[in-house]
Amino acid sequence: MTATATTAGSSGLAVATRALHKRYGPRVALAGLDLSVPNGVVYGFLGPNGAGKTTTMRLLTGLIHADSGTIELLGRPFGQGDRRRLFEVGALIEAPAFYPFLSGRENLRALAATGAPTPWSCVDELLEVVGLTERARDRVSTYSLGMKQRLGIAAALLSDPKLLLLDEPANGLDPAGIVAMRDTLRNLASAGKTVFVSSHILGEVRQLADIVGIIAQGRLVREGPIEELLTSRGRVRVRVKQDEVGAALARLEGGGFRAVQGSTSDDGWLSVAVEGDRASEINRSLAQAGIYASALTAETDLESVFLELTGATPTGDGQRSFGSAGATTVAGQTSGQDPQ
Amino acid sequence: MRLFVAGLRKLVRRPASYVSVGLLAGLLSLILIAVGATAKQTAERPNGAAALLLVTFPQAYTLILSFILGLGGLIAVIYGAAVAGSEWNWGTLKAAVARGESRSRYALLTFASVALLIGVGLVLAFLVGTLMAVVGASLAGISTSGLSNSDALGRLPDQFGRSWIAVVEEGALGFTVATLARSQLAGIGAGIALYFGEQFASIFLPDIVKYLPFNAATAVVENAGTGGGGIIQRLEPGLALWVVLAWLFGSLFVAALFTERADISG
Repeated sequence: MTATATTAGSSGLAVATRALHKRYGPRVALAGLDLSVPNGVVYGFLGPNGAGKTTTMRLLTGLIHADSGTIELLGRPFGQGDRRRLFEVGALIEAPAFYPFLSGRENLRALAATGAPTPWSCVDELLEVVGLTERARDRVSTYSLGMKQRLGIAAALLSDPKLLLLDEPANGLDPAGIVAMRDTLRNLASAGKTVFVSSHILGEVRQLADIVGIIAQGRLVREGPIEELLTSRGRVRVRVKQDEVGAALARLEGGGFRAVQGSTSDDGWLSVAVEGDRASEINRSLAQAGIYASALTAETDLESVFLELTGATPTGDGQRSFGSAGATTVAGQTSGQDPQ
Repeated sequence: MRLFVAGLRKLVRRPASYVSVGLLAGLLSLILIAVGATAKQTAERPNGAAALLLVTFPQAYTLILSFILGLGGLIAVIYGAAVAGSEWNWGTLKAAVARGESRSRYALLTFASVALLIGVGLVLAFLVGTLMAVVGASLAGISTSGLSNSDALGRLPDQFGRSWIAVVEEGALGFTVATLARSQLAGIGAGIALYFGEQFASIFLPDIVKYLPFNAATAVVENAGTGGGGIIQRLEPGLALWVVLAWLFGSLFVAALFTERADISG
């Protein structure tokens, strides 16, 4: 990793990567990643399995070294000799890591002895924040996955970081835990801290993030405020009789809409790339040609945007295949772990 | 300092620490009591008198240390590998590095706490061994007047210090092997294989093997590790100590360098 001087235009950013490349043998994990994460926001980092999310997180925390490209953390270059930059960063990378034979409290104290000087007094406060005070004396080996995840979030907050990097923080959390985590992260952002969240759970990111970055095959394919992204990438699905599909497509194309037919199993469904609030215009246009829609749905959701940008396509049987890595998702949530 | 103290706290709470010391002290006790309890039969066997030296003071001091150097060395290899390997397996090294901790400092201070705990373990095992040798001597009807032999007691600190360095070196080898393997199990397995491989190789290549880490470690205490019916060649204790120190610092250097440069994933 080369640490060069701050590039123009990257000031005011909590995280900035430029032309970041990383290879694992013959496999390219990152192919010129350019991220720009402003200060004081919750940034949702999305991508299918194998897209390079975890590799990015590892690079941002100095666990691995980039083949080329630059990283800036909190406005200053971050290279191999700049480990102290991480004193202002809290991270939860992949699964939370603890000594199974120590209690939750002892684990946090052991971790507090590393990196930035951290007083023990904050350990009990953080255990309370994540709701583990009652189990603080129990060995971590007796904790559930969700409890370990909460302890991991407490560990990430240990040094009161300005930048928080969380890899799938909702993993294993129950609904109440997810709500509590979301509130905690929003509060941190309100207090001026930057929260960088990598996640597969699109609904969660939509509720939490101000800005999203979508990565596919090691490159950033889209980055921006979430509302702007949804507005620009809206989609309306309209269903007509099977024998009227051709006429409907021609009518919509003639009216300036970009429409495509769904797969044959879609049984008369057409997909129109347009903002959701223009669904009535499509209906009117078809009706004027004597074609009456039997169903009309506006899909300005993050899932559609994500699928479109990452090259994933619906298969029509309720599952979706991700062309970039071959993993599958159901109801917008991917299964399995990042292989990198 | 806080990292070293934190490392000690972790090891004190770690079940493997108790198991290691317990195993060493337990086996030592078993042998000494068995020798004492069967003294009559033992004395009638060939080399029986030599076996009774285990419970005859002051010679017992050196022989107990010799036993600790042998079995204790193997346990130290396993313990060092377990500590280093678990840092990779459990992801605790990853967590420390992601907080901005220096990789090599973390590895070296983790080993420093292992080394200190090995010292404590050796003292405990030696005390238990001495106590059990006294019990064995009583069972065998052998006088314990040599227990307070001033010459033997005077040599003990030097012998003990050498033994500690030797066992720490063996622990460092396990620590380094597990670091290179980035795995607890692989480290323990490879450490044990090296230990026994070296003992086996000493039959065929005694002139070379005497400089290897485990053989050199056994030679640091005078009169220790004289088993093998005279087949195994040993270094002179003074030279052995230098060889052991070279292996100790060399292996720690390799462990620190690898930790500093490695990609930490998983």
